[in-house]
Amino acid sequence: MTFNDRIFGVLMIVLAVAYGWGATQFPEPFGGGAEAVGPETFPLLLAVVLTLSSLYMIVRPDPDNAWPWSRTGVELVIAVVVLVLYAMLLQPLGFIPSTLLAVGTLCWRMGASPGKAYLTGGIAGVVVFLLFNFALDLALPLGLLEFLEAT
Amino acid sequence: METLGFLMDGFGVALQPHNLMFALMGAFLGTLIGALPGLGPANGVAILIPLAFTLGLAPETAMIMLTSVYAGAMYGGRISSILLNIPGDEPAMMTCLDGYPMAQKGKAAEALAISAVASFVGGLVATVGLILLAPLLADFALTFGPAEYFALFLLAFATLGGITGKNPMKTVVAACIGLMIATVGIDSTGTQRYTFSVLELYEGVDFIIAIVGLFAISELMFFIEEKAGGGKEKMTVNKLSLSWADIRGIMPSSIRGGILGFIAGVLPGAGASLGSFIGYTLEKKVVGKKGYFGEGDPRGVAGPEAGNNGASSGALVPMLTLGVPGSGTTAVLLALLISLNITPGPLMFTQNADIVWGVIAALLIGNFLLLLLNIPLVGIFVKLLSVPPMYLLPIVTMVAFVGIYSISNTTFDLYFMVAFGVFGYVLRKLEIPLVPIILGLLLGPEMEKNLRHAMEISDGDWMVLWDSGLAIGLWVVAGLGLILPYIVGPLLRRRMQAGGAQSD
Repeated sequence: MTFNDRIFGVLMIVLAVAYGWGATQFPEPFGGGAEAVGPETFPLLLAVVLTLSSLYMIVRPDPDNAWPWSRTGVELVIAVVVLVLYAMLLQPLGFIPSTLLAVGTLCWRMGASPGKAYLTGGIAGVVVFLLFNFALDLALPLGLLEFLEAT
Repeated sequence: METLGFLMDGFGVALQPHNLMFALMGAFLGTLIGALPGLGPANGVAILIPLAFTLGLAPETAMIMLTSVYAGAMYGGRISSILLNIPGDEPAMMTCLDGYPMAQKGKAAEALAISAVASFVGGLVATVGLILLAPLLADFALTFGPAEYFALFLLAFATLGGITGKNPMKTVVAACIGLMIATVGIDSTGTQRYTFSVLELYEGVDFIIAIVGLFAISELMFFIEEKAGGGKEKMTVNKLSLSWADIRGIMPSSIRGGILGFIAGVLPGAGASLGSFIGYTLEKKVVGKKGYFGEGDPRGVAGPEAGNNGASSGALVPMLTLGVPGSGTTAVLLALLISLNITPGPLMFTQNADIVWGVIAALLIGNFLLLLLNIPLVGIFVKLLSVPPMYLLPIVTMVAFVGIYSISNTTFDLYFMVAFGVFGYVLRKLEIPLVPIILGLLLGPEMEKNLRHAMEISDGDWMVLWDSGLAIGLWVVAGLGLILPYIVGPLLRRRMQAGGAQSD
């Protein structure tokens, strides 16, 4: 099957056209557009090259690599969701709790037993936190554990 | 001997205690990175860049540390090739051919020690080559005008896939994507381009975020997909018994391999894989019938291993002198230079002489450190090799998060990194190479600037781009870089695979 390259090629052509069109919409730089190379020249060149090379991908596609559907696909989605949540919760929850959850969940989903997984997450979180805050003088957010700071 | 004086100054920088300490740390971390599953050299260096920043290291210290990481990763890659027949990275493939049979015969420790000595010799030969060649090339590069630079950048992209690359058109697509991302932000005329009025995009996309996302996050996803979390079997290494005669026996092979590797590293489009391949084939030819290649001949370990390390030092030549990296890892080192506000290229040899020569001296010192580290400590590295990726990769991901977060203390960058990771995963599935994207991100602004200057000089005449003999030459090589893979690529790949198949 050769769908992947074809679909990607089409997407890239759409991108190239949108990108090229975007370049023609730039406001003229201060001092007039008399220069040979304005802000739009280089992007327009890129749009042309990308269109041509994407066309090649559509005409001469390589064989597909299989996409992971079903369970593995779900695992991948879980991993991405975990990463997004990690980014989201890093500041409100604080570094140690969010790392415990994120690293723990990732280890667990990759095949570790839940106990060991969250233990790894917790230890990793505490060690890196201490290392950064005391040895390297970089403040990572404390979040929920802020009450410890006063002591 | 002007060079010698500079080199002495370089040693003065590299031998300062704290620089030496960071070099040692880098060499150790690098070997780890090379040895551990799922952490290629480019990936490893990329994750360490934000940390080098947050540590507030001086530019030369940061550069010395990461160059040591780079050299160390090349050492580490061979451990899994020898013990498990799994090359840590592509150039280590050839080491499997004789290294693994040696290990099977119960000579794993000897194979590891020989490869460490060969790496040392290869690295040393190539560093000497670098010292001799780099200043000459830098002088020559001073004659380049903007048009020549523009052509040179094109050449860098065109030859990035190497003549063994599979589909050069995918390299072009990837390069375009990278260059397009680089145009985001406010350009030199003050025009906002593709910022969509998002404040975070005004200064453009930080390439460190892109690099870490593309490499580290996509690697995590690949491990999840392949369900490779379990790790490998535990390994033990026998006690080392290596005589001076054995070391003398591999010296000629190592020196030959180092020289060949260096040449392959300097030339555009050859790279370390080809370096170690040529190193191995040459050894086979030179030694001839007296050897027992493929069945555990020590010279078959030494040749490609020296070639591999020679090529990695050789690849620093175009990066340091022209500002044009020839491989993924040197591209990441270039990223470090740019973010340290150092303009790479020929002027660096005059303006930042202390850094350039400090790095070169650090390479020499690093080679000694690595040899010292590798022979006694190989047992530790072997143990770490059996850390299951299901613990390792989440922790690496966390380190990447911490590094990126500590650059600007915003979560926006983290979302961006995850997005780049998913994008990188999709691209790798489509076999679109990631390195051209990174190179595009790095070189985009310079490339556009040079195009602009060339046009200003010529008053808008596009012919200026191929007006000089040098520029035409660069265009021709760039063209060849795209066409040759279609002609000789299949042939060379088949031979390399045939070489690999013999060992099974």
